[in-house]
Amino acid sequence: MSSIQIASGLAVVNILLLTLLTAVWVRNYRKFRTPLVLGLVAFGSVMLVENVVAIYFFFSMKMLYSGDPTVQQAVLVLRGLQLVALGFLTYVTMK
Amino acid sequence: MDKALWYLLTATRGGENRARIIQALSERPRNANQLADVLDVRYKTIRHHLDMLADHGVVEAGNNEYGKLYFLTDQFEQHRDAFEEIMEQIE
Repeated sequence: MSSIQIASGLAVVNILLLTLLTAVWVRNYRKFRTPLVLGLVAFGSVMLVENVVAIYFFFSMKMLYSGDPTVQQAVLVLRGLQLVALGFLTYVTMK
Repeated sequence: MDKALWYLLTATRGGENRARIIQALSERPRNANQLADVLDVRYKTIRHHLDMLADHGVVEAGNNEYGKLYFLTDQFEQHRDAFEEIMEQIE
């Protein structure tokens, strides 16, 4: 499997985590109309869009990233780091 | 503590029930069983929330082992206005 395929797989996992997080925040915003939760809803939505766009480019066969293997590995690392970050946030939010 | 309280109560999955526990304990100290009855939430869920609130220094248990009563901490009382502010935002 190429780096970019794995990176797209990680983007799918990121989308699942972000859907979960955004769902919790939207539900809580209905209850608590605080600016903090509204900010979190906005944060989750934008990140969600970003990951969906990345997946779209992967399936549309249009190149979002250069074919250079170094660039593709960097993309994989960045997606991986985003997954770790979202993993922590999901953990503290679901508890 | 303010920021942690905001996240703990308004941004997490169990936040609403944790806020209700704090409200119930504001009236008077209660044990986990009484909280489960008053709030109509399962005992295990109440236990989980009490542990989270204790970890964050919001509540503390009294001395007796059986049916321990839970109290709000002095540290929480110092930040009560943040809690009141959150409660005012409730729909």
